[in-house]
Amino acid sequence: MGRLIGRLIKDEEIDLILSREDEILPSSGFAVSVMDAVRREAAAPPPIPFPWKRALPGLVVAGFALALVLVAIVVAIARRASITPQFSMPLPSVMPPIFHGGIESAAIWTALALLVAFVSVKFSMRMASGRG
Amino acid sequence: MSASDDQTDVETVLAGDISAFEGIVRRWQGPLINLAYRFCHDRGRAEELAQEAFLRAYRALGQWRKDAVFSTWLFALATNLYRSELRRIPARTASVSLDDIAEPADARASDGGLEDHDRDLAVRRAVGALPAKYREALMLFYFHDMDVTTAARSLGLPEGTVKARLFRGREILRSKLPQRLAVPRLKEA
Repeated sequence: MGRLIGRLIKDEEIDLILSREDEILPSSGFAVSVMDAVRREAAAPPPIPFPWKRALPGLVVAGFALALVLVAIVVAIARRASITPQFSMPLPSVMPPIFHGGIESAAIWTALALLVAFVSVKFSMRMASGRG
Repeated sequence: MSASDDQTDVETVLAGDISAFEGIVRRWQGPLINLAYRFCHDRGRAEELAQEAFLRAYRALGQWRKDAVFSTWLFALATNLYRSELRRIPARTASVSLDDIAEPADARASDGGLEDHDRDLAVRRAVGALPAKYREALMLFYFHDMDVTTAARSLGLPEGTVKARLFRGREILRSKLPQRLAVPRLKEA
């Protein structure tokens, strides 16, 4: 009569198996190939720094446009609130007249947005072409 | 391999003599390729990964702070690269799940146990099928001759975390392997 014996693997056996992983040797041209890549890397021109001086006017214009948009949003919210009497809020008198208009002001804003987009595209194309 | 050789070569490279980097490559090509091979089990890819690791090391040479041995820094950089690359494009062997590991072809040797080769293969496949965090801890632990401190530095993890992962990784292995390596053997009563 036979008895069934399970052979359980021990930690020491796992250690032994995983420690004796086969070693591979580098191929003969490996070091040369790495050095070629390193020399190419060293010979490559350094990355071009971002032209902050050239970009500054554009960034200022973009910042100003963003500020205008934010102001317009605030004004629009204030207008909506003013429709309901209990939340009425007078528009600040310092706001430019375009914020008080209707369709006319929308047209002005659209034209302004188009102008900003056009200037941005022209400016970025000019930067990309390297003319400055 | 001496640490002073590495330091001298690094200083020479940083001073502008690129050819000194070859000394670093020749000293560490074997270990870096073998480490990559443990991650991907593909010789060609291991060399590609090791080459990329050397290139990154070259670019970042100035960032090596001499408070750590150069090899520790190099292994940490290489390990980081290998892990991210293997996450991006997994090794073919890593797609096997623990439950899908095939039974060894020859499950019974003359003494009733598995042949060494099949047993080794089953254990390696089981390690390859572990979740990445346990697999990487085990891989680095055995690669660095069971040195937890070095493995932890290579992984950029605290030693305690690596110890916990090793413990949990072995626990998963033990829970899976007995079912695969439990070979019935008849013993005369």
